[in-house]
This record gives sequence, C-alpha cells and structure tokens, in this order.
Amino acid sequence: MPNSSAPRLGDLERAVMEHLWTRAEAGSQPVTVREVHESVGAERALAYTTVMTVLDRLHKKGLVSQQRDGRAYRYAPAATREQLTAQTMRDTLGTLDPPDRRAAMLHFLDDATSEEIDDLRAALAALEARQAPGRGD
Amino acid sequence: MVYVVALLALAVGLAVPAPRLMARRTTFRRAPRAALVVWQCVSLAAVLAALAVGPALLPRTAGVTLGHGLIAVGALAVAVSAGMLARLMYAGHRVGARLRSVRRRHRQLVDLLGMPVGTAPLAVGPGARRPRQGSVRVLEHPTPTAYCLPGLRQRVVLTQGTLEELPPDELAAVLAHERAHLRARHDLILEFFTVLHTAVPAFARSEQALAEVRLLVEVLADRAAVRVGGVLPVGRALVALARGSHPDAALAAGGGTAVTRLELLDEVVRPHVVLSAFMYAFAAAVLAAPILLLVAALG
Repeated sequence: MPNSSAPRLGDLERAVMEHLWTRAEAGSQPVTVREVHESVGAERALAYTTVMTVLDRLHKKGLVSQQRDGRAYRYAPAATREQLTAQTMRDTLGTLDPPDRRAAMLHFLDDATSEEIDDLRAALAALEARQAPGRGD
Repeated sequence: MVYVVALLALAVGLAVPAPRLMARRTTFRRAPRAALVVWQCVSLAAVLAALAVGPALLPRTAGVTLGHGLIAVGALAVAVSAGMLARLMYAGHRVGARLRSVRRRHRQLVDLLGMPVGTAPLAVGPGARRPRQGSVRVLEHPTPTAYCLPGLRQRVVLTQGTLEELPPDELAAVLAHERAHLRARHDLILEFFTVLHTAVPAFARSEQALAEVRLLVEVLADRAAVRVGGVLPVGRALVALARGSHPDAALAAGGGTAVTRLELLDEVVRPHVVLSAFMYAFAAAVLAAPILLLVAALG
C-alpha cells in the first residue's frame, strides 16, 4: 500500500460511521471517543487522537451529532444510513438546482419521463430490427 | 470603423442567432465530436468579438485630435469590454466553486455510503482497474440510476437497483459510458457552457443551446459505450434506466433526449468524414474571424 493518507482517512471515517450506526441501531446511547477507539481504533492500532480527529471531521461535515457529557463529548450519527442514502439519492435525482446538478454529476440518463417509456420501447424495437439482419458492422 | 462594426455584428450574430440555429441542426448530432468543437469555437469567437470591440475602437479615437467626444466613446467602449471580461471571470469563479463544492459534498456521502465493489461484472471490462477512470461505488437504493462525479477524485456511482435490473452487458455499457465522460473530461465542456450561459445577458441566453450541448456530450459517451459492447446493450440500458430518472427533469430540459439518443446509436457505424471536415473548417474560420478583425482594426 502506498502511504496516501487521503483514502485512508476516508476509510476510517467509513469505519467509524459503520460503528456508530451499528451502535445506534442496537439502541445504544451516544458513544464516547474512548469507546470508538476501543472498538474501531484498537484493531487498526490507531492513536486515540486519530479517532478524535475523525469524529471531529465527521461532526464538521454534519454527519455526526456531538453532545457534551461532563468533560468529554458523546457522538451519535446525525441520520441513519437509510436516511443518508435517501438524501444522497434525492441530490442526484433532483433536489439540487438543475443546472448545478447536471454539470456537477453526469448521469447515464437524466431526463426521461414516464410518458416517454412507450416511445423508448418503440425506438428500441426499431433499433433491434435494424441490427438483426446480418449485423453488418 | 468598418472593423469595429464588423466585430460588433460578429459578436451579436454568434451570440444570439447562431446558437439557436445550431441547436436546430440535427445533422450536427451525427458528428458529435466535431459539433462540440463548432459549439465551443462559436461561443469563444462570440466572446472574443465582444471583448475586442473596445480595443478596436481605440486607434480611431485616441491619438488624433478629434475632440473629447470621440475619446469618451473610446474610453466607454474599453470600459464595457473590461466589464464584460470581469463578468465572465466572476461567473467562471462562481460556477466553478459551486460545482466543486456540490461534487465534494456528494463524493463524501457516496464514499461513506457506497460499497466499493469488485464484484464480477464491475471488475471486468477495459480500463476497469485503472484508477484514473473512477472507482465504482454502489448505493444501497432500489431506484436504478447511474452517474459519475468528475474532478480529481472521480467516482462512478450505481445503485443496487441498477445492479439488479441490468444484465452484465448492459452494465458494462453503462460503465463504459460514464468512464468516457470522465476520460474525456466532458464536465469541463459542460462547465464552460454553464459559465457562458450564466454570464451572458438574458437576451442572448438560450436553453436549447445548453440542452443541445448536453445531448452532444451524451451522444459522444454513448458512442464510446457502443464501441465497447455494441449497439443493443446501450439501447436496452437506456430503456431500463429511463424508469429511474427524475420525473421533473424533462420539463426543465424541454423534453427528454433518450429517444433521440436511441435513434442515434447505430450512427456510430457510419463515420461522417465530409461532414466532420466541413465542421472543423467552419469552427476554425469562426474562431479566426474576430482575431483577424481585431488585428486589422489595430493595424
């Protein structure tokens, strides 16, 4: 593995989120940095401060909620995995301002309507018919 | 003075009627690569011609003792040119910054939620392993959709619904399409036209022009997909994924383009050499026009 830190940080954020989601699904209270470090950090031989940094980054991105508990913070996922997936899908399918969305991400097919389906099927049938005899290409 | 008038006419002509005429030229779609070059050259030439009007007026007004009125006209023209340039640069900055932030935020979500897959149909195919062409992420969502996030850290995003819906050859076609976007940096073309669209005054703005450029970019990526796996998988994937697209999108775009793309799929087999050559020559001439006019005006 080359020592590129960026993808590694992404992997860590992912692992930490997975942990927080699992805990939240199990009905657990928001967790402390120490708990996350013990379960996610230990197996990867991470420093406590690394886990703290990752949680802080996730908080800044709005993915994790932070609440004070005495001298420490407790963390919980801001949304469930399903909610976040739904939000991501809404972004790609239309919440974003259309000009932004269409230039920011390039969809395989962006603008078909349900009324179009029949026309599309007919066009495909015509294409299949043109391709069928000989397949001369 | 003839040159100044000519530059002015060129700027208006290329900015207003030309894009509207070109958007209606459906033959352009048979040579999408050349067509995109024409589009870019026409837009760039319109901008250059408009910016050149101010400097072209200068030698007619400055230096000679023709009175304060003419000097004021020259100064005003230069100021207008400078203003247009500033507006263009500002739009470029705004649009670029917004796109990058939308992409960054979205990529973070996709990286967090998406499964980085190496499953059978995704890992095969030309270029599948090359990191420059975007690693594939799969979102756990039933709606079938597929898109790519361009930029420095490119991603191709699919949903679980897409994986379930599409057989391997259609999936390969979709991936080839998205990777063609990433490889050819189609996002930069779209960004260029989005910037111009934002910067020009409303009377020169044309939705059809922007929609046509978007269509050409898609046709180009479709062609890359056809070269990988043939015509039919691309066509079938278009029909399969039509169900997953956004219900309102077609309204904004003035009608869907999927049928048009389907009908153009088997055009790939017939190269239009003469048409392309003519279009490249036209593009070069259009781009040369404002430069030559400015040189003549200053000389």
